[in-house]
Amino acid sequence: MLADFLQNTLDGLSAGASYALLALGFTLIFGVLRRANLSFGPSIMFGAYCATWAHVNFGASLLLLALITVSGAVLAGAYVERLCFAPHRGGSAIAAMVASFALWMQFEELATLVMPRHLYAFPMLYEGDPLSLGPLTLRVDTLAMLAAALAACALLWWTLYRTRFGLAVRALIEQPAAAALAGINVPWVFMRVFALASALGGIAGYLVVATHGQITPMLGMWATLKGLLAMMLGGLGSLPGAVIGGLALGLIEAHTQWYLGPQLRDLVAYLLLFVLLAARVPWMTTRSAS
Amino acid sequence: MDDYAIGVLTNIGLFSFVALSAYLLLIAGEMSFGQQAFFGVGAYAGGILTALYGWPLPVAAFAAMGLGALAQLLVALPTLRLRGLYFAMATLAAAEMARILFELLHWRRKVDGELAGPDGTQGFRGIRWIFEHGIEPLHYLGIVGVLLALVLALLLVVERSKLGATLRGVGEDPELAASVGVDVQRVKLAVAAAAGALAALGGVLYAHHNTYIEPRNFDIMLGVHSLAYALIGGLGTAFGPLLGVLLDIGVLESTRIFQGYRMIVFGGLVAVVLIYRPRGVLDERIVQWLRQRFS
Amino acid sequence: MNFLSVQDIVTAYGKIEALRGVSLEVAEGAITCLLGPNGAGKTTLMLTLAGILRPKRGSIRFAGEEIAGRAPHAIVARGVALVPENRLVFPAMTVAENLQAGAYHRRDKATVRSDMEGMFARFPRLKERAAQQAGTLSGGEQQMLAVARALMSRPKLLLMDEPSLGLAPLVVEEIFRIVAELHRDGTTIFLVEQNAHMALKVAQHFYLMEQGRVTFSGDPGSLAEDEVIQRAYLGSVQR
Repeated sequence: MLADFLQNTLDGLSAGASYALLALGFTLIFGVLRRANLSFGPSIMFGAYCATWAHVNFGASLLLLALITVSGAVLAGAYVERLCFAPHRGGSAIAAMVASFALWMQFEELATLVMPRHLYAFPMLYEGDPLSLGPLTLRVDTLAMLAAALAACALLWWTLYRTRFGLAVRALIEQPAAAALAGINVPWVFMRVFALASALGGIAGYLVVATHGQITPMLGMWATLKGLLAMMLGGLGSLPGAVIGGLALGLIEAHTQWYLGPQLRDLVAYLLLFVLLAARVPWMTTRSAS
Repeated sequence: MDDYAIGVLTNIGLFSFVALSAYLLLIAGEMSFGQQAFFGVGAYAGGILTALYGWPLPVAAFAAMGLGALAQLLVALPTLRLRGLYFAMATLAAAEMARILFELLHWRRKVDGELAGPDGTQGFRGIRWIFEHGIEPLHYLGIVGVLLALVLALLLVVERSKLGATLRGVGEDPELAASVGVDVQRVKLAVAAAAGALAALGGVLYAHHNTYIEPRNFDIMLGVHSLAYALIGGLGTAFGPLLGVLLDIGVLESTRIFQGYRMIVFGGLVAVVLIYRPRGVLDERIVQWLRQRFS
Repeated sequence: MNFLSVQDIVTAYGKIEALRGVSLEVAEGAITCLLGPNGAGKTTLMLTLAGILRPKRGSIRFAGEEIAGRAPHAIVARGVALVPENRLVFPAMTVAENLQAGAYHRRDKATVRSDMEGMFARFPRLKERAAQQAGTLSGGEQQMLAVARALMSRPKLLLMDEPSLGLAPLVVEEIFRIVAELHRDGTTIFLVEQNAHMALKVAQHFYLMEQGRVTFSGDPGSLAEDEVIQRAYLGSVQR
């Protein structure tokens, strides 16, 4: 029993690590733009499909595939930023969010056009046997995922608190009106935040696809839903909250799935979110979503 | 008129209901990612009542509308004071919960010696009321059309009335509306009930048109499509959402040129139109101008 | 000699014109102040000068260059900095980080560092609180921080929007002492104030603004002070 609990906790944390990265990406964009990018998941999917295409046609190395995924996600993110968010800066938030959803439709159709099969195999991070630690099974690739997610978070923290760009991002999150007055080139910071968020998402996407060994067009919707859910659970607009929300979501899912099965697993997560929102729990509703 | 054209037109009508449902909420200032849930409630409820219990379609449709309104109220009440993205996420959570509940729904009954009814992820087949009663596709299109026309007429009347102005006032500036004595909460609940009923009506008609429904039909894609139809068509008039549906299903789906590229074209169109018209093609300004020119 | 020259600026919020053709001049090295009742458009003018709002029409020339409608960061780079109404410090960042943010567009790191030392010398209270979060500072300290932050960009023209707002009289005196000090050190200042009395004590020239237009221009002696105060708070009696 305890072994099961620990195993589920471990599995939950590693899934949670990818959710945390997704939530961080969403939160960066939301914190700075006060809007949710509904094409975030699909742009990650675009990157992952670019990598799949490279794998199918050229058999690229793992590292190259990771780089292609991240670059593809960043490229897609830039396209979304220019078309959906830059034109509506200071304008209608609903228009921006619905426009970003419209591009989601584009990415999904593009993926199915270029890579028509529903499922493609993706080279796994690690093909060997899992490690055994007593009664626990440790998959090497899930450990790698945890490590990579940790490294990405550390890199993000360093960027935000030790670089000039990070200062500008924090200024925009805390006091957008004064940030422009301090000489910060706001549109340029927005573009770079998008790139950063997309890169984080790309890392998460690559890790997920490489640990599952396969990719489907559902990746886009999956990443968006998990990222949004984790972001809201941890408290909208808070970066540490995004990490906590992601890990919490992973843990909740792993344990619920064990005791109640996969459908109830998702049901519980959504129910939790709904209840927390309805109760207007303070940490969830502090930031104004314009 | 050939069957294909009838099918396309019927679909335009069916999806107009759920687009109008999203539109009503948008006017009242709320962005809902969840109208597909109430479309589904209508579909399942209507289908169960006619296929398993032999209810006549009109009665089942009414019951389905009532259930849809109730379901939407169930979601609206706890989320009344939520705004913006928070409200949208709450509707998304509720809609996904509904979809999972549809996946878990097994309501089987012996009808004419055979087991029928929703069977979880296997779906719900045999919703054949209109075929059993000899209603041709063209007649059904007529029924859908008449119902849609009635709804539009009702909405247009409301729009010109004080209720319509109150509604838009609440949507634009709830604090201002409250300060002049409007009971914002009651207005929002009323709109929610109407939106739920509308979506459910579309659902019931959809279920009987397709004769087969499954939980996957009511996923987030449908919900955000409805939102997109409402917003791109324009928030100035109830014809707006119709325009949105016409653009996607009417123009893009039915023309062969866009075969396989429909979503790419429609998606791009939505994003570009919204840059120049954030409140849609038929936004409040254009509608105002049109009214002045033709009055 | 016209350091800042504003000509016929019209700025609108949607259809409502908040500035209906504002013209004024700020001389180099002087303290010029802008008085007027609430809603006259003073803050709108400041935001237009800083580039946050785009004017529909008109011209703003600073040191010979047209800056109307340019992006805010470009205007800061040209030497115009605004201390905004309500100070708007970055609450979760430390005092030191707030100052660093003020120098964002500057590339000369060594001089930025020495400038920061200079700010701490001029504002000893900020030095005490250098590692503290700006949101925890008192109103007066936040105002000083906002001024110091703006000064970090080495502006040739400092715009100040209601620096005395919400502050106790003693603190207000200290703020105006700093304004006078900055003036002595050569900074040109354009100051919006509700506190007409204090403003007239330091200014060399003042303007009155009402309902989106400049209605009076002169130096502090040219109108009886109580008439100025009356028009600053209530607007002109005649219509």
